[in-house]
Amino acid sequence: MPGLNRPALLPALAGLLIPLAIGMIFFYAPLERTMGIIQKIFYLHLSLAATAFLSFFVACISGIMYLLRRQRIWDARLAASIEIGVVLTTLVLISGSLWGRPIWNTWWTWDPRLTTSLILWFIFASCLILRSAVDEEGRRARFSAVMAIIGFVDVPIVFLSARLWRSIHPTVIRSEGIGLEPAMLVTLLISILAMLVFWAALFRLRCAQYHQENRLRDLQQQLQH
Amino acid sequence: MNSLRQILFLLGKDLRIELRKKESLVSMAFFGALLLVILNIAAGVDNQVDADAGAGILWVAVIFSAVLGLGRVFAREKENGCVAALLLSPVAPGEIFIAKALVNFILMVLAQLVLVPIFYVLFGSNFSGGPVALLPILLLVNLGFSTAGTLISAISAGTRRNEVLLPILLFPLLLPLTALAIKATAGVLAARPLFELRDQIEPMIAFGLIFSAAGYLLFPFSIRED
Repeated sequence: MPGLNRPALLPALAGLLIPLAIGMIFFYAPLERTMGIIQKIFYLHLSLAATAFLSFFVACISGIMYLLRRQRIWDARLAASIEIGVVLTTLVLISGSLWGRPIWNTWWTWDPRLTTSLILWFIFASCLILRSAVDEEGRRARFSAVMAIIGFVDVPIVFLSARLWRSIHPTVIRSEGIGLEPAMLVTLLISILAMLVFWAALFRLRCAQYHQENRLRDLQQQLQH
Repeated sequence: MNSLRQILFLLGKDLRIELRKKESLVSMAFFGALLLVILNIAAGVDNQVDADAGAGILWVAVIFSAVLGLGRVFAREKENGCVAALLLSPVAPGEIFIAKALVNFILMVLAQLVLVPIFYVLFGSNFSGGPVALLPILLLVNLGFSTAGTLISAISAGTRRNEVLLPILLFPLLLPLTALAIKATAGVLAARPLFELRDQIEPMIAFGLIFSAAGYLLFPFSIRED
């Protein structure tokens, strides 16, 4: 079982990797020719987007596992990944807007990726509202598992339907290869790795907190009887 | 055969309650009509609405009125502990889901029979496309709405804030479907033939089927108490 008193390996690693990634973004990666300094937000933007999507995938898997096994630990994982996912998606939307304002000359446009991220944000934020509206533990876990699964099922349809609108989003990773300078690619990979480790650290911490909270509540109930 | 009879029995029961109390349908049609009037006033005195805006207006009225009906179907079962009775009866949860989704589907169709004519009375002079071509789009949205809505209303009925939570949970899930429907409706209002709109209609069919399957599989988890 995860505990809070373990040595904090992952946070320490994240604490090393994130400054390294930021250093590489600003001092190692070359300046992009047309976009200039603004392009540097891309490394963080893509790592945030990747980990946000990972969170919702983990939430969906945890939802399925909870409905099959009915173990508290899966509910804790689901809650942790949804919380982290909502925060990361918020950051994706903000960093994308900051980039889009000078490059696209607009904060927002109805592009497939933007639409998909926004709808995902809405679905999983509503899932957090749902969790706050149910007191009973088992019921809250069941309901949020159902929402996490159906929310994730929505993703391909959202993307499919949004694809019909015209897209101006850059596709860096295409089927014929990656359209990036090697130094940029290395920076991108380090940024994604840093964000993944940070994600894992947050996830572990949040799961441990939920575990602690549940044990505390059990103890409280035992004392009352 | 047996399960079909059970579904029809549950469906008949809900429709009979609706026929006697008329609470869902009247509030759906009334609220939808009210929204259309408000949006007509908002459109200004000269009432110049193009096909895109007209489609948006119609769907705002339809989905907001539909939520009223979706919420009632489950809240009614909760009132006297009828959900427990339903679960004790020899009917599988999947069949309850089908029956409830059918009730919602029928309620939405009936409400639209009122709303679409009112829409045409208020805004119709702007559009060349007839109401009959809207039928497949309306039915496809109803399929997605009634299946996803049944699942979500079972969840929201189990919480403390039923009426508030239902649209909050449901609308994000149905956003893509509604966006497709608005696009297709704009095409119909501009009198484009239906086969030109298959880029919108095909994902709408997929959406309906996926939500029917997901709702059928997930519904037992959202009503069964353990």
